Amino acid sequence: MKVLVKVIGPLIYKTGFSEKDLDLPPRTTVAELVTIIGIPADRPRITTRNGKAVLPEDEIEEGDKIAVSPIYSGG
Amino acid sequence: MNGWTGNILRVNLSAKSFKKETFTEEFAQKWVGGRGFAVKTLYDELKPGIDPLGPENKLIVALGPISGIPAPNTGKAVVAAKSPLTGFYGDGNLGTRAAEHLRKAGYDMLIVEGAADRPTMLYIEDDKVEFIPADEVWGKGTFACNEWIYAKYGKGVGVLNIGQGGENLNRVAVIRSLEGRAGGRPGIGAVMGSKKLKAIVVKGTRPIPQADPAGMKAAGFGDLRKVGQIDKETGWSIQSTTGVLPFCNEVGGLPVRNFRKTHHPLAWQVDGERCNNARIATYGCPTCTMRCGVTVRDAEGHESELDYENVALLGPNLEIFDIPQMASLNYLCDDYGLDTMSTGCILSFYADAIDHGAVAGDFKFGDAERAKELLRMAAHREGKIGNLLAEGSLRMAREFGHGSEAYAMQVKGLEVAAYNCKFIPGQALAFGVAAIGAHHREAWIITFEIRNTTRESYGPEKAAKVIELQRIRGGLFEFIVSCRFPWIENGWPLENYPKYFNLATGLNWGLEDMWTVADRIYSMIKLHFLREFPKASREDDYPPRVWFDPANADTEGPIAGKVLELDKYDGLLQHYYDQRGYDRRGIPTKATLLSLGLQAEAAAVEPYATLSD
Repeated sequence: MKVLVKVIGPLIYKTGFSEKDLDLPPRTTVAELVTIIGIPADRPRITTRNGKAVLPEDEIEEGDKIAVSPIYSGG
Repeated sequence: MNGWTGNILRVNLSAKSFKKETFTEEFAQKWVGGRGFAVKTLYDELKPGIDPLGPENKLIVALGPISGIPAPNTGKAVVAAKSPLTGFYGDGNLGTRAAEHLRKAGYDMLIVEGAADRPTMLYIEDDKVEFIPADEVWGKGTFACNEWIYAKYGKGVGVLNIGQGGENLNRVAVIRSLEGRAGGRPGIGAVMGSKKLKAIVVKGTRPIPQADPAGMKAAGFGDLRKVGQIDKETGWSIQSTTGVLPFCNEVGGLPVRNFRKTHHPLAWQVDGERCNNARIATYGCPTCTMRCGVTVRDAEGHESELDYENVALLGPNLEIFDIPQMASLNYLCDDYGLDTMSTGCILSFYADAIDHGAVAGDFKFGDAERAKELLRMAAHREGKIGNLLAEGSLRMAREFGHGSEAYAMQVKGLEVAAYNCKFIPGQALAFGVAAIGAHHREAWIITFEIRNTTRESYGPEKAAKVIELQRIRGGLFEFIVSCRFPWIENGWPLENYPKYFNLATGLNWGLEDMWTVADRIYSMIKLHFLREFPKASREDDYPPRVWFDPANADTEGPIAGKVLELDKYDGLLQHYYDQRGYDRRGIPTKATLLSLGLQAEAAAVEPYATLSD
């Protein structure tokens, strides 16, 4: 399934990209995606699907836009 | 008294006189420093109703017990006065060598009274104070003023100065220091200008009193190194605060077009990745190992130091998606000594008011060249438009009428920082109850709100989070005086700060002791507000009304069709008041004030307004 993955802030220096279309196996979870793109599992982060927060165990669906961000704190 | 010098330098510009005063240990422990010293002093010494731009107002520079001591990240000072923008207590903090130098000169606080009869620079060197004519740089920007000062005294001195904005009493003028540091959003630079005080230069040569200098040195230098190492691991300072822009854009929290929109397809053009790619230099405050000043070249070739707030409010909020052009506006704000955040909101409000027919004009969103011209006019109060823009968005709205106050993006007169809370209830509360108006420095709960709660909630957990963060961000870091970034951005443990405090003072305080001081300071700022505005009501703690307007809802994206709900917001506000021990107006009750040891301060407000039991 095709999904658009957006990586935010300094996490882009882990993944090597800030935005990319990825072809993922069906039922890939958020946690699996984060590992696939090279972000250490223990790195604090917030992940959103189409602008809304999701949990690591949530499954990604065809056409989703997934954004992975560090935990920002508003300066 | 360890940790504090125990001294205040009081300068009177009218009389060209100065004296060294002392304060008691009781005062030190009750108010600690920085914001605490400033709020108590201004409350005791200013009569309610004075003109903030008159000689009766007092300008304060206040330090804390770890200011200027090498430890993470102590090179900051608090500047404060009665605000000409909001009409009550206002303050800000900025990175400056003046923090270390004032402490080494032997002072924890500088109080500037009166007004000079000609442009003046104050030069402080230990016990010596000089009043130096500054006509040569009056009318010049902060960068030229810095060069003039450096040529006289060398680059190592501490400098606080103003640009044309402060000189011309622009109500959002700030105080500036070093290359890109600024503080005092609610017009504290205009207070300095009203005193014809162009600059304060400080050189201190004496040791700062500490209870355990060897322990402090070991902990301070060691921890500075550790914070630097953590930052290298996280990579935070590669983009610094500019990195948050795409997150805000993704979740519908970015200010676009005077906050009308919450995201924009071109926002990526000014995001942290592009700002870092355009970087030509990096600047930071003294004693910092995670410097955050991402510096780029502006459209005219100047160095312009960026952070998220100025990128978002001078960029997308004006529908400008070009880094050099946005950076030009930022450079001009810095040189004129204007607050980048308020200026962005003022310009966007002006464009929006024209758009909505509230006023006639030729400024449109996206017009960077006209924005530069307007900014120059505002800094110099040139003509009718310049004078209007120099007043801030609330006064502009009252002049325009036609319901425009609803979309003047401010709370209590201070413009909203760069987070669009059209559908972020907890952060809207954080802006509503921020002590001095809609500042982001005191509580920022957007990630918590989105990740740990439901965004739709108006529950007590959000009020509790706002209070927790106010105690830390608006309290602890503002009264011990140091930068919150090592903790907030890189996870440096909070427990380190009582450790530094105890090494400096010889006391044995924990975080709970810090929260008591923080609550005392928040209550005092509320008393300031009440004394100036005896008809204070809970509506003063409401965010801009456009956030409640269904007609303003996004038509697409993550929060399509949603806006804040007024009755629910009011309920959230009540949770905050209940947890704080405030009455239905948002004013601390007598019982709350008593529990914080503020009996005398409560009595001082009663000739002007009533307090609830």
